[in-house]
Amino acid sequence: MKVEEIMNTKIEFIEANATVYDAIEKMVDKRIRSLVVKPRDENDVYGVITVRDIVFRVLNKNLDPNKVKIEEIASKPLVCVDKDIDIEHVIRLMEKFNIARVFVCEKGNLLGVVALLDVMSGSLIKRVRGGCIA
Amino acid sequence: MLKKLFFGGKIEQKVIGKIKKHIGILCSACETFRIALEKQDKNLISNVFELEREGDIVRREIVSDIFVGAFLPFLRPNICKFVEIVDNALDAVEDAAFEYLDLELDGEIRSDCIKIANINFKMCEILSIAFETLLTGEDLREKNLVIRIYEKKIDEIKHDLMRKLREKDIKNFWEGKIISDFITYLANVSDIIEDASDYLQIINVSIR
Repeated sequence: MKVEEIMNTKIEFIEANATVYDAIEKMVDKRIRSLVVKPRDENDVYGVITVRDIVFRVLNKNLDPNKVKIEEIASKPLVCVDKDIDIEHVIRLMEKFNIARVFVCEKGNLLGVVALLDVMSGSLIKRVRGGCIA
Repeated sequence: MLKKLFFGGKIEQKVIGKIKKHIGILCSACETFRIALEKQDKNLISNVFELEREGDIVRREIVSDIFVGAFLPFLRPNICKFVEIVDNALDAVEDAAFEYLDLELDGEIRSDCIKIANINFKMCEILSIAFETLLTGEDLREKNLVIRIYEKKIDEIKHDLMRKLREKDIKNFWEGKIISDFITYLANVSDIIEDASDYLQIINVSIR
């Protein structure tokens, strides 16, 4: 099964100079666990900020989320894969880099994101479809 | 063992063959509709209507065979109900196809509708696999879960689609009604397939 079949094409973005509080608000409102950080300029690249980053790097250190900028804690660059890559490869990547999501990119454009939950669902679908198909 | 006990008789085998055919017709209708959307070929819609009529015929045959005496009495209502639900899914595909005749889809809305139609087709395939699994007496939980995963995906696309539609300029009442009904029917197919899958699980539990 290719990642294209399981990726989520709805990606939420945040500006690099926004505050962590802005990110918290967006994540809570939209019930999502990560946001893609927009590049600051044409020389910059996309990044990602996750709930994990916010909890461990800001809240756990008693820092004020209103004063910490996204760019200070965002991870860059994104771990990108091709849309034709197999789920197994994605699982290996996630395990190797200890990450919970990879991004699907094509010619510098972001097509989607595949999170652990998508991989888990995709693997189950593959298992079930591996049986007989009428 | 279960297969022999509950589904092993001659008349039962005949009905099972027809139920497989009925599910196959639903798969074909969903696939034809998906191709019609992808290729923007409205000539294919008549094939969907034909498949729905064929499905009606098969449903009547199944129900009459069951009332002639196929299956143990306690199983009959559940099997009839399952067949009716599959037929409702076929009706929903037909309703969506009918609305599509008067509709011009473009851009992201078209692409989202194709995604839904594609997932509907995949759900039919899993339903078919689940039915085969029922006959072997194995557990259906995994198949059921996959159908629920697909259904949730369609729900997400549908909500997104509704948001996009609200931003679209509608020229008159009928244009708005047709597109709204179209999306409702299209997304409803997956809900009905999920119901059918739940019913298979009920049958599975009842024969244990």
